[in-house]
Amino acid sequence: MRSLVRIATLAANTVREAVRNRVLYTLVFFAVLLIGTGVLLSTLSYVEQERILQDVGLAAIRIFGAAIAIFVGIGLIHNEVDRRTIYTILSKPLSRTEFLLGKYFGLLATLLLQLTIMGAAFATCSLLMGAPLTVAHGAALVLAAMEIALLVALATLFSVFTTPTLASLFTVGLYLIGHLTRNLRDLGQHSQVAAIRAITALLHRVLPDLESFNLSIQAVHSLPVAASDVWLPLVYGTGYVVLVLYAASLIFERRDFR
Amino acid sequence: MSASRGSRAEVVRVEGLVKDFRVGLGVRRKRVLDGISFTVREGEIFGFVGPNGAGKTTTLKILMGLIFATEGRAAIVGHDVRETEFREHVGFLPENPYFYDYLTGREILRFYARLSGVSRGLIGKRVDTLLEWVGLVHAADSRLRTYSKGMLQRIGIAQALVHDPQVVFLDEPMSGLDPIGRKEIRDLILRLREEGKTVFMNTHILTDVEMLCDRVAIIVKGKIRYEGITQQFLGAGRRETDILFVNLPAELAGRFEERGALLRGVGDRLEVRVAEKEASGVLREALDAGAEVVTVTPHRASLETIFLSAVGLPQAAEDAR
Repeated sequence: MRSLVRIATLAANTVREAVRNRVLYTLVFFAVLLIGTGVLLSTLSYVEQERILQDVGLAAIRIFGAAIAIFVGIGLIHNEVDRRTIYTILSKPLSRTEFLLGKYFGLLATLLLQLTIMGAAFATCSLLMGAPLTVAHGAALVLAAMEIALLVALATLFSVFTTPTLASLFTVGLYLIGHLTRNLRDLGQHSQVAAIRAITALLHRVLPDLESFNLSIQAVHSLPVAASDVWLPLVYGTGYVVLVLYAASLIFERRDFR
Repeated sequence: MSASRGSRAEVVRVEGLVKDFRVGLGVRRKRVLDGISFTVREGEIFGFVGPNGAGKTTTLKILMGLIFATEGRAAIVGHDVRETEFREHVGFLPENPYFYDYLTGREILRFYARLSGVSRGLIGKRVDTLLEWVGLVHAADSRLRTYSKGMLQRIGIAQALVHDPQVVFLDEPMSGLDPIGRKEIRDLILRLREEGKTVFMNTHILTDVEMLCDRVAIIVKGKIRYEGITQQFLGAGRRETDILFVNLPAELAGRFEERGALLRGVGDRLEVRVAEKEASGVLREALDAGAEVVTVTPHRASLETIFLSAVGLPQAAEDAR
């Protein structure tokens, strides 16, 4: 119980840090993009205005979320060590893993707050444009949140043992590869060489399959979404997050803060 | 005083601590601490003294669980330093502390109080008491980015005390402060002792050692060179006498020099520095040889000289004179 209080204290402070450092100001860019798209579309007589708006809106939500998850996440632990704020915190009766989890959940809470605001803006614009809103839109946002949770975990892992520059390279690299592993696996299956088929299948299994969190097409085109399309990626994503944070904790617990 | 302190309980015990740091990416290692041992007793101000790079901060970081010893053992209030829960009894102020500067003085103390397990109902009162104690009531609701260095040092001491710990560890607490700031921190440290806290203080400022510390350990190049009562350490320093002569025969001056005296020419005069106990004999011989005495000045060796002699740097000690 005391452990939870400490994690919650650190998480609450991480949210406060993000708010006071104006991380949420990025929402302004999102709003401008969304409203700008709406205004632009309203000047065009185009049959699929609503779909384009929702396509742009959902893509913007996922890209903004991912960008902030990565670029705040990579400095999450490193900055605390670099600025030595961690010294006084770890001299209190809390474990390094509690510190790590507090920072992780704090940034995640900030991003979920941001995602909620972006989702609300998206829904409002959709209603104003007369675009349909279905369960699939909700499911797409839930999985977008799962993808963000995984990206924050990956950024946190790299932040534990390397510099922000390298951490950003690793995380952005994994983000891009994570959206391509399915294509890579499918390409590999067409190969005549067994080793290539095996390697591409292995990469798909080991690296995060971020496309499994993408329900944008189903949402925008009002396609049916099965329950398993949501809960399977949620179980997969949660398991991946736990593993990544466990690895981060193992490294962090053994690190010397010189 | 020494007997009563000697009977007090051990609060910190360090045994055979070794720390090697890896150099670069290779397997080469550099030994920063080389088997150090010392103890700190309840209620004393303990000075951990040494030049820059001697291993003071490394030792303190091991005690705070920020880095891990390669060999040896360290315990605070009977608990191994690798445990975490016992830190309820420990407060820590790092050198040149940096805090979340987007928080106010009151907010940062509340934050540390919650992390330290102070119950919710007591936090407000405890924070108010501490703000008053360190003289920051007027700045309690200003963000830390507007604080001066002295104010940050005081909020640093307040956060170290927020959970009313038994032992307080301070790393170079006077570092970078102006004379007023130094006095304020010195007074706070003395008040800590009055309140029964044990204070462990890393420092290389010898006047602070003399004014504050009951006992000291001297660390040089990762090894403990001395551990004991401060006054005994300082008292061990030589008392010396400077005698200024006119017409001191060169042959006699040469003999004094052979016996360890330091000679320095001042115009047509010659100043001879000798150990206090040898001053009478030197004076007698010089007067018998026809020299005239201008001045006789007894003095204690400077703190720097004592320190440098103690750490085995006699030439540097001479230079410091």
